[in-house]
Amino acid sequence: MILITILLIAFGGAFVTYLAGKISGKLRNILAVLVSLALVVLISLIYRREISREYYTLPFLNLKLILMSNPLSWFFAIIIAGIGLLSILYSLEYMKDKERLDYYYFTLLFINASMLGTVISGDLLSFFIFWEIMSWSTYLLISYKGGKAIAAGLKYIIMSIIGSLAMLLVIISLYSRYGTMEISAIASYMQTASIGYTLFILITSSLSFVIINAFWPLHTWLPDAHAEAVSPFSSVLSAVLVRKGIYGLYLFMYVILGLNILNKLHVGFISFSSVLCGIGAVTIVFAAFTALVQEDSKRILAWSTVGQGGYMLLGIVFATASGMTGGMFHVLNHCIYIALLFFVAGAIEHRTGGIRNINELGGLIKRMPVTFIAALVGISGLIGIPLTNGFVSKWLIYKTLILGNHPFLAFAAFVGTWGTVLYGYKFIHNIFLGQLPEKYKHIKEAPLLMQLPMILLTVTVILFGVLPGIPLRVISAIQRQVALPPLQTTLFGIPKEAGELNMINVLFAILISCFIVWLLFRRAAKSVPVQQDDSYAAGSYVPKEKYHYTVNFYNPLSKMITPYLRDVASLFYLNIARGTQRVCNIIRRVYVGEVGYYAMYIVLFLAFLIFIQMFF
Amino acid sequence: MKSIEIIVPPVLAFIIGLFFLGLFRRIMARIHWRYGPPLIQPLIDVIKLFHQKSVQHGIMFNIGLIFSLAGSIVVVLFLPFGRICPLSESGGLLVILYIMLIAPLGLALSGGEGANPNISIGISRKFILSLGYEIPLLLILLSIMTHYKTISLMEIVKIQQNTSWALLSFPLFLPALAYLLILPAILGVRPFDVSSAPQEIASGTMVEYGGRYLALATIEHAFSLFIGISLFVNLFLGGSCNIVVFFIKMLVVFTIGVFINAVFPRLRIEQAIKYLWRLPVALAFIGLIIVSIL
Repeated sequence: MILITILLIAFGGAFVTYLAGKISGKLRNILAVLVSLALVVLISLIYRREISREYYTLPFLNLKLILMSNPLSWFFAIIIAGIGLLSILYSLEYMKDKERLDYYYFTLLFINASMLGTVISGDLLSFFIFWEIMSWSTYLLISYKGGKAIAAGLKYIIMSIIGSLAMLLVIISLYSRYGTMEISAIASYMQTASIGYTLFILITSSLSFVIINAFWPLHTWLPDAHAEAVSPFSSVLSAVLVRKGIYGLYLFMYVILGLNILNKLHVGFISFSSVLCGIGAVTIVFAAFTALVQEDSKRILAWSTVGQGGYMLLGIVFATASGMTGGMFHVLNHCIYIALLFFVAGAIEHRTGGIRNINELGGLIKRMPVTFIAALVGISGLIGIPLTNGFVSKWLIYKTLILGNHPFLAFAAFVGTWGTVLYGYKFIHNIFLGQLPEKYKHIKEAPLLMQLPMILLTVTVILFGVLPGIPLRVISAIQRQVALPPLQTTLFGIPKEAGELNMINVLFAILISCFIVWLLFRRAAKSVPVQQDDSYAAGSYVPKEKYHYTVNFYNPLSKMITPYLRDVASLFYLNIARGTQRVCNIIRRVYVGEVGYYAMYIVLFLAFLIFIQMFF
Repeated sequence: MKSIEIIVPPVLAFIIGLFFLGLFRRIMARIHWRYGPPLIQPLIDVIKLFHQKSVQHGIMFNIGLIFSLAGSIVVVLFLPFGRICPLSESGGLLVILYIMLIAPLGLALSGGEGANPNISIGISRKFILSLGYEIPLLLILLSIMTHYKTISLMEIVKIQQNTSWALLSFPLFLPALAYLLILPAILGVRPFDVSSAPQEIASGTMVEYGGRYLALATIEHAFSLFIGISLFVNLFLGGSCNIVVFFIKMLVVFTIGVFINAVFPRLRIEQAIKYLWRLPVALAFIGLIIVSIL
């Protein structure tokens, strides 16, 4: 019964929260936190309780709808619940004086509930129902702010509907063929299906997952949606919602079809996996270089979300122990640090009155040290500096690619990382380092309730970076579920048999070297703190303006690469949209909506008929 | 025994790095028909700098620099030096690649806090340049890792000692040539010293450093020289079983770098990128294609 309880609390909690908002704002906030906390607790309770299935009846087509939990769904469920809780906590301060808060909390909780629904559903119909609820409620929350956000939301919902229709096609086709929608039953039927049909199922269903996970060339909705949504929701969007695509791909590729069938799907060099790999590689490189020329803090992060998706794809399409583990681990890692970074961007926005252009900021390290540390750790995770979680997963993915003799894919992944170094540093430099503008001299650190989620996530980034064994154990359970060989792990990394990585040694090496250098530093002659103008202007009078080099930070490089970064996909869709609009405009001239015109059409049509009858 | 193994590489790297800095000035002076300073001048400078007072701009100004030097020390622990490689069991070439990021990032964070436009321009150029040489470098490393089917640097060295140097073996001489072409950029010497460029941006990232900061930055520079050269020796010249031979190999590579530095004038950053992304990338790319087909 516990799965149904989870769903009831999730959906019911959203409604109750909405109603409580009509009574008092405080009650609503408390309820929202309690509901999301309860979800985290309940989901941690079902850890390791595999394949418990529960039926709920919906008298329709004689179908029993099934809920189930297995390692894969637990992995995603705990991420959803955890980020859900943190984003609600963060919202309490961030959204304090905004309007339509009942609506906001209701939709946020509702999205969390529907995402939970998709991962614990055991048949495709309930999967689809929850998926649709998720798409629609996401649309409502993306366009919450109005203005540009409405356009971003529209872009999202159009692409999402195309994806949903593709999935609906798959589900109907599977049902009419096998008469069931239960995932495990379909999986066993599919083992004997013809190759053509398998390919049809795989490609059509992948379409919707590729859209939601924003792989190139279907990525165009994501940068707008992430940048225009409110920050706590941006982190939910980027950390978990987007990664439902990976869940879906995994579900169809490994749970429903399985390795044996996947290996059969190839013509010469080209196979389904190699196409996916190509998409992943292009996504990584394109997104990394596009992020490099962005000037909007949230847009940089949005593009990084697009790019990091490519790494996960490169990981999971190779069904080796290390590749699969790396891909799944990267889902978790990315979710942690990107949520953290969106919280950082939100905190900056909150304190500076909605500034997202990083060129207008600077020197905030002196005013917001906690946020700075969070940003530093988050960016390090994004780059994959050793001792942060991103390193371990990227290491696994690279190792798979190199030892599996795919050097060009590995090259794309590496180039993406070096692009990340550039835009990651620009993010920190332009916001936190350098000259503090006069108007931000008196801003305060983010409120405590906003700091709390950031601190928690910062600690987790480091914790999983030093002790990767903890999450890797959960992930190897997923491997066993789909009968893939699990990766051997130790608490501190990978043992010698499976390649070698020992994070605790790296930690000690870095700590001890830091300590030695620090001792040297301490013993030397002291230094005096000075202001910017003291050394730069050598003490002479300088007018109070900006003297720091931040605008167009990588100018020589961006001049060289911008011509190659035209977003062809986006332009193509825009052209389609414009074409459709033109056609609709022509139709509108005919269907003007006035009765007189329609009467005229009828008369003309009758005249036409009479004309035909008279002469033929 | 193990503890001595851990202490030896960083100490040797410190000595060799500073020796190289001294030698650098010395050879340059001879090419200019001057006498030049004594070989231990960099060491004298570092000791002197530790005793001088300096200015600072904030906490990150200190921490960044400390991290940067510490990162370099850790990289040295991962690089096989002759037979000694204390941390070879904790990760291979991929770990080295990533830890090598800590040093430039630390310097950049420290410099960014300095709020001096010269520093920021220097950092921006440094990162663009590093993207410029990383692209051929990654292709080179990938062709080596693919060819030897391992990601452990220790293994790569061992295989070369049993067969022949990668520089002289068939598909790998192409990436080796590409590495030689980008070596000055990795070391940050003359045609590619855009990020320090003393005449344009007043030494770029170094401009706010004085006293102990300059001392640490100099040591960091010495370490990075050591790392860049010893990586080449390990990857292409077969490393070595003993420290003296290893040192001689490093010396030869270093001298080539100094000669290039003495002859060529500085490139602009766009020119540097164009150079790096043409011939070296082409060579490395062809090398990688051959390696992956074979």
